[in-house]
Amino acid sequence: MLPKNNTVAALTFLCPALLAVIVLRLWPAGVALYDSLITPGESSLSLGNYAFIFSDPQFLGCLAMTLVFSLIINPLQIAVALALALLMDNSLPLTRFWRSLVLLPVAIPQSVSAAVWGVAFRPDGLFNAILAPLGIDPQPFLTSPHQALGCIMLVVSWIGVGYWMTMLITGLQDIPKSLYEAVTIDGANWWQRFRYVTLPQLRRPLTFVLVADTVANFLVFAPVQILTNGGPESSTNLIMYDIYTRAFEQVDRGGASAATVVLVALVLIVVSIQFRLMSDRRDE
Amino acid sequence: MNPRILLGWKPLLIAACGLLFFLPLYWISISAARPEADIFRYISSLSTWTFVPNHVTCHNILELWTGSFRGAILNSLLVSSLTVIGGLAVCAPAAFALAVIEFRGRKIVFGIMIISFLIPFDAIALPLYYVMRDLGFQDTYTGLVLPGIGNGLAVFLLRQFFMAIPRELSEAAKVDGLGWFQIFWRIYMPLSLPALFSAALILFIFQWQAYLWPLLIAPSTDYKLAAVAITQYSTTVGTNFGLTFAGAFFISLIPMILLIVSQRYYVRSVAATGGKE
Repeated sequence: MLPKNNTVAALTFLCPALLAVIVLRLWPAGVALYDSLITPGESSLSLGNYAFIFSDPQFLGCLAMTLVFSLIINPLQIAVALALALLMDNSLPLTRFWRSLVLLPVAIPQSVSAAVWGVAFRPDGLFNAILAPLGIDPQPFLTSPHQALGCIMLVVSWIGVGYWMTMLITGLQDIPKSLYEAVTIDGANWWQRFRYVTLPQLRRPLTFVLVADTVANFLVFAPVQILTNGGPESSTNLIMYDIYTRAFEQVDRGGASAATVVLVALVLIVVSIQFRLMSDRRDE
Repeated sequence: MNPRILLGWKPLLIAACGLLFFLPLYWISISAARPEADIFRYISSLSTWTFVPNHVTCHNILELWTGSFRGAILNSLLVSSLTVIGGLAVCAPAAFALAVIEFRGRKIVFGIMIISFLIPFDAIALPLYYVMRDLGFQDTYTGLVLPGIGNGLAVFLLRQFFMAIPRELSEAAKVDGLGWFQIFWRIYMPLSLPALFSAALILFIFQWQAYLWPLLIAPSTDYKLAAVAITQYSTTVGTNFGLTFAGAFFISLIPMILLIVSQRYYVRSVAATGGKE
């Protein structure tokens, strides 16, 4: 039924992109898998590198840290983005202007955000200067194992939140106004309108933001490498930085590749779980 | 709640949130324009002068532009522009095939594209580095640009736009004897300028923000990109605050000008990739 030359034409149009997918994604993924199975001193492929990293306290620590980081930063960023979206989705004068101020930092590289906030986090930096008149003692920030991860979160959230906010605002604008009118006639208050109209209607964009945000935050690297080098006391050793140090400081290509495979697997699991959640709750 | 009270606090709250996000940018700008001694003096204790520059100087900016940073900014501009051109050349035809041409296996190809879009590029940066290094792409513009051109988001966005263009147009064109390439080039491209613009922005900003990849593939100073070069001013020995802020100012300013000029397109692109059907 389909003309045969359609397939030829389609392949011609797709050729560069398919080539890019194969050379730039699938091939390196294959290389990582293969490298992860080569253990020094063993002639055949083995799971030695996986056995090694999963008994390595440094790697287990970095997995735990990455998990803690994800469990805090993702709900936090999405809550802030949602609050901002609800606040800024209106036609009050100047709202567009203030909204674009929130959006402005989204194009700034994380390395730049890190370099700048790094100055503010110094013991003699801006934050301690602001805290002093409030009667709060100087805080250690990046040099404290309890505060450093929070500082990294601030560095990436400043440039991240505006993006998610924009996505959620377009989601809010797609909600039919008639739904709000209907529940308002029924006497619903602000919270009930939010709980029974906004939240269910926003499920799809919210899920998408959650997936994309989680995946993005798995890969935070620049602020860790620039500000803390994984420290103090490995409190900011996130998985991407762990892979980097394994590859280039410990020069352990097999271990770094095994960690890369673990990271890619984690990302795939998150994506599939969250997309399933999204389709299961469709009829709620 | 009384609507008049609501009107009273809501604009204030909105303004406060906007200012909160803008404040670091403002701080970068004023710090870039004041003597280095002043940056240091006024951040260690809070005063009016922390946020109002009392001496303005071009010293930091001049020093930055006479040093290696100028090359890094030019490299970043070049690499990001090449990424936009290469990325559109790769993504637009692919999106066209996936949206307009009916062929067997279209769903599978689209699935592969989706997966490649879901696995972020940075996750496989290390094995890709081994591959590209062995191919001799270390310290080349090709090595810097290539990973940015296959952008799943851009394919997604363009495909969605192409699907909204009425089928009748391409069918009529086929009756008139136009081939697929002419349909693509003479009908779809001119109709899709806004979507192409949005895709170009995505590609540019993605490459402008890249840090890990340029760090790995371009260790030499000649090929340093700005996002990597800025870290050279803060070392374990000490930080040059003036140059850090001046560098941050330029790296932030360039994509920001693009965003301000084309915010409409950017917001549309964010919306289109935001999981809408």
